[in-house]
Amino acid sequence: MALRVRQTPYGPGMLGLVVSYAVLGIWTLVVLFPLYWLFITSFKLPVQVNDGPVYLPFGDFTPSLHAWRYILVDLRNDTLRPYANTVIVGLTSSVLTLALGAAATYGLTRFNYRVRLSSVAWFMVGIAIAIGAVRLGLPWPLAVASGLAVFVLLRLAMPRRGDATGRALTNADIAFWMISQRMLPPVAVVIPIYILFQRLGMLDTRAALVVSYVAANLPIAVWLLRDYFRTIPLELEESAAIDGATRYQILWSIVLPLALPGLVATFLFIFVLAWNEYLLALFLSSANAQTMPLLVAAQNATRGPQWWYMSVLILLMIGPVIAMAIALERFIARGLLLGAVRG
Amino acid sequence: MVHWSETLRTSLSRRQVLKGLALAGGALLAACAPGRETTPTPAVGGTPSAGMSFEGVEVNVITFTGPQIAEPLQRRAPDFQKLTGAKVNVITVPFADLYQKILTDITTGTNSYHVLVFSPQWMADFVEPGYLEDLTPRIEADSALEWDDIAPFFRNFSATYGGRIYTIPLDGDFQMAYYRTDLLEAEGLEPPQTWEDYLSIAEHFHGKDLNGDGVPDFGSGIAKKRGAQSYWMFWSIAAQFLQSQGTQQGSFFDTETMEPLTNNEAFARALEIYKETGTYGPPDELNWDVGDSRSAFVTGRCALTVDWGDIGTLAIDPEQSKVKDKVGAIILPGTRQVLDRQSGKLVDCDQTTCPHAIDGVNHAPYAAYGGWSGAINKAAPEQVKAAGYAFLSYMSQPAQANVDVTIGRTGFNPYRISQFKNLDLWIKAGMSEQAAKNYLGAIEASLNSPNMVLDLRIPGTQRYQGVVLDTVLSRFLAGELTVEQAMEELTQGWNEITDELGRDKQLQAYRASLSIR
Amino acid sequence: MRDGRWPTTVQADTERAAASRGVAATLARRARLDRESVLLWADRQAGAVLVLPAVLVILALSIFPLVFSLYLSLARFQPAPGGFRIHFLGLLNYRKLLLGSEQEHFLGVLAALSPGTWVVWALLSALAVLLLARSLVSAPVTPVRVLGHAIVATAALLALWLVVRTLAHGGRPGTLVVTWIYVLAGVAVQYLIGLGLATLCAQELPGRRFFRVVFLLPMMITPVGVAYTFRMLTDTAKGPFAPIAKLFGFANVSWVNDPWGARIAVMIGDLWQWTPFMFIVLLAALESQSPEPIEAAIVDGASRWQIFWHITLPQIAPVSSTLVLIRLIEAFKIFDMPNVLTAGGPGTATESLTLHAYVLWRALDYGTSAAVAYSLLFVVTFVGIAYVRLIHRRVAEAL
Repeated sequence: MALRVRQTPYGPGMLGLVVSYAVLGIWTLVVLFPLYWLFITSFKLPVQVNDGPVYLPFGDFTPSLHAWRYILVDLRNDTLRPYANTVIVGLTSSVLTLALGAAATYGLTRFNYRVRLSSVAWFMVGIAIAIGAVRLGLPWPLAVASGLAVFVLLRLAMPRRGDATGRALTNADIAFWMISQRMLPPVAVVIPIYILFQRLGMLDTRAALVVSYVAANLPIAVWLLRDYFRTIPLELEESAAIDGATRYQILWSIVLPLALPGLVATFLFIFVLAWNEYLLALFLSSANAQTMPLLVAAQNATRGPQWWYMSVLILLMIGPVIAMAIALERFIARGLLLGAVRG
Repeated sequence: MVHWSETLRTSLSRRQVLKGLALAGGALLAACAPGRETTPTPAVGGTPSAGMSFEGVEVNVITFTGPQIAEPLQRRAPDFQKLTGAKVNVITVPFADLYQKILTDITTGTNSYHVLVFSPQWMADFVEPGYLEDLTPRIEADSALEWDDIAPFFRNFSATYGGRIYTIPLDGDFQMAYYRTDLLEAEGLEPPQTWEDYLSIAEHFHGKDLNGDGVPDFGSGIAKKRGAQSYWMFWSIAAQFLQSQGTQQGSFFDTETMEPLTNNEAFARALEIYKETGTYGPPDELNWDVGDSRSAFVTGRCALTVDWGDIGTLAIDPEQSKVKDKVGAIILPGTRQVLDRQSGKLVDCDQTTCPHAIDGVNHAPYAAYGGWSGAINKAAPEQVKAAGYAFLSYMSQPAQANVDVTIGRTGFNPYRISQFKNLDLWIKAGMSEQAAKNYLGAIEASLNSPNMVLDLRIPGTQRYQGVVLDTVLSRFLAGELTVEQAMEELTQGWNEITDELGRDKQLQAYRASLSIR
Repeated sequence: MRDGRWPTTVQADTERAAASRGVAATLARRARLDRESVLLWADRQAGAVLVLPAVLVILALSIFPLVFSLYLSLARFQPAPGGFRIHFLGLLNYRKLLLGSEQEHFLGVLAALSPGTWVVWALLSALAVLLLARSLVSAPVTPVRVLGHAIVATAALLALWLVVRTLAHGGRPGTLVVTWIYVLAGVAVQYLIGLGLATLCAQELPGRRFFRVVFLLPMMITPVGVAYTFRMLTDTAKGPFAPIAKLFGFANVSWVNDPWGARIAVMIGDLWQWTPFMFIVLLAALESQSPEPIEAAIVDGASRWQIFWHITLPQIAPVSSTLVLIRLIEAFKIFDMPNVLTAGGPGTATESLTLHAYVLWRALDYGTSAAVAYSLLFVVTFVGIAYVRLIHRRVAEAL
């Protein structure tokens, strides 16, 4: 056994090894060069940036800490506050997204849902009534309540036909509906969302950002986890069920541990999305809840982009994510979508 | 009730203490203020309208993330709090989204911002639906503001809409031409008087090494990027042909019919000049915003440029500049031919066609963007409005403003007469005497011109300029449109917006913006 | 079992057992709800309890924006005393986009018809129809499926017509076609590069953990930041590549003046930013494929290429399909890169639909902006549904 070399098609020969390293090396350069450029730009004086390219600190220019000093010392609290907000909002929303997403994904991969089209139709009727009520001048909570009431009433009043008959939406349709919520471009969504949170009195709170990020990233979480959950073998769950475990116990103590790599990778991805989001953050925050991407974008003002400050901010923002990526890398390495359990 | 009376008592006594403090602080500030000799009422020099106290009042001021504009507001807010007790929170958002952010806040009734520091160009969108407080009575009663010291153009046009005052200027924005004094002197050339001069000087220097680094440089560098400042740069050319009878003539529309002045010989000529500046410019000029053109100019890569006042202060900043004391400023180049609005043809300048011409050249200094100004949200509580007004007045009073305009990072440019009468401030800030004279001379020449061009300020301004004009210019420069097609497209586009928003209403607004009764 | 569903018998059994126990408990204790019965009830409702929170959160934040934007796209927004007013206009905003003053901007300028255009269009159309026909007969033919395929075919022919006519000499693509170019080229190239890198990284190479983390980096930078970084890098005067361009005699040429140069610059930035996403997901898929079939194939003497084509690719197909769908949806919304890099210029050459909507939106023309956004939504939904029905389900079912 000791002699057995793992013979996969990817077990490279000598030539393959050289080619592989060459390609990987080139792509590493492609990835790292822009980051290197950001790094040295953060130590340049404006005149060193504007007067044509210089490449090597201490080589062809003398680095200066002016930009770092400005961001970290002069602006201290104006940098720290958004930074703290970004951390809190990013972590909270990603954890929540993952929790809701994992539950929903488990449901979508283990149950057969049938949402009758008639229910969808009644729901639309409810919405129409709510809209009509608002147009007639009813306060919005009342309008929403009346719409909901109509929907529930209609739903209860209509005779329940057998589940097998009649057109219905299935799991795949629900999943597609979820992902379709990401199709509208953000500019079309942001004003209504603003109005929504304004009516709820939640503007400029971190909670508003958390809620909207959870809603925005849930579809992605569900879709990434779905392929993963499907591949977890059912035998374990079946035997647990026969032993009397509830669905929740099965999910918590069997499925989630098995799905850990997928969960971690998904977490990392939605965390990155929440960490970097700009437009919703711009509108839902004004002073207390501002996040870092706003600060980055703000460096392009009346005097043109302030490259040096912008570089510092981008580097500050990417730091924790890299740390997290390194810490979680071993999990991702075990597979994002398909479990290590398989095969 | 006990609590109430106690609070009252403490606040009363505190107010008395504060009043004393305020007077002392005012005297101190007035004593320190460099512009004091031009200040006729030193007793109230530093205090906002004497006797006011805003203990416990919080004012939210919104502007864009600085350091420009926001920095002086943030720096002076604690001083103001010491004087009056009002707490000023300066809220900042990215520059590109400021307009949207303010408008969304007000239209949805959130009203979380009390003082808006923005461009008076947006005024119509705010004044027409009645979002802004009329400041006229407050300004009339405010001697400390020294309203008459503010240059007439900013007082009577920029801050005013339909005869009422809605904003207090904090900054003077208008465009000028900049040139390299060392280069022109060496070649025995005069600064450009007309756009033809500008082009010939640009051609002369194009392709030569202008900063001694061995690389050929450019005759001219103007920001032409789409979605940035290109349309203001272009209008600095076009306005010279379009307006010659004084500010009230306007340069965008016919003041009787609201027909755009964009399809005629003059406009065609302006488009041609605009495109021709590109032949003496850098290869990627189409993607330059002011950040690029400024940095290129102050690192010595261009012989000429067009810009707001910022270059004057940038050029003396050792972190940014390689051309300290080699920069000259001059009123925007003019033209010897202007538009005859009856015929749509170009006619030569004479006594009647160009009454304000200097040496036969019609100059129309363009107050692009209009200069950052403070306005008050009408929906704010009375007490907050009063405190907000006091803060704006405080910021604009000579004791504060005359210092701030000389500091590069404030982004404030001169807008008061006392600011360009006093050379010392500028020399102290790092300019040589000659450079200061030259810079202030150009500002004075522009501000004194009765033919200054007011920027477009009607409902939908952003659509007229930021969408239609900007897109047409970009397509014209990219070669997608010919001169005729560009004029056709622009005129149609503007008429469409006008008709959509109501021609009569728009005409009324346009006339109101020019204070035509 | 293959479809991953719980075997119905087990499910029914547990539910029945739970139900009977639950009923017994309730009967025994009457109204007193104890812990066990609550748990049992909750367990029976597990299906709903698991999915509903997610559905409700998404629903709560999506219904209102969807309805509001739809209404705005049929109306004009105007600031008014004390708030705003919305004038209903019907389909005028859409008419403006498709037939009126925004047509050239949105759809583009059609080139004059030439024999070349006809030939290209006919060839592409034939290919599309052929593929659709093959897809149709690969499963039982029902009227619904025929109708669906017919609709997709019609849309494909129209889209091809627009693409061919606007890209031909003398035409100019509008924001719609430019967006398609970004999406098609972007997703395809990113997938291929991502797959290539993932294949290399899946080898037992020393140092692969290093590559793995490094290759992820671009994805983690805030999109605005990436866009500005690329603006720095692509600057022809101050950027790091300026001296190189000079060396090759390109000192006076700039990518920004050429429509395709600018579009390619935008696509390179997008590629840099999003290839990592493709890479990481594909790497995970490759690493977790089962080794048995491959080992068997090696024993049979299959070549590397054969193994990759016949064993590896089918194994990672479902993941690839999900990946492509997610990227497709996100790529349609490409915004930061063109906005920061060129602001849509030169002319309108690099303007994407989202940027188009944004420019109008920024100028307070919410109505037209919403109409552009809804047009985009319509296109993406159509493409998304077609993709899921025609490709995704088939590939995913093969798992």
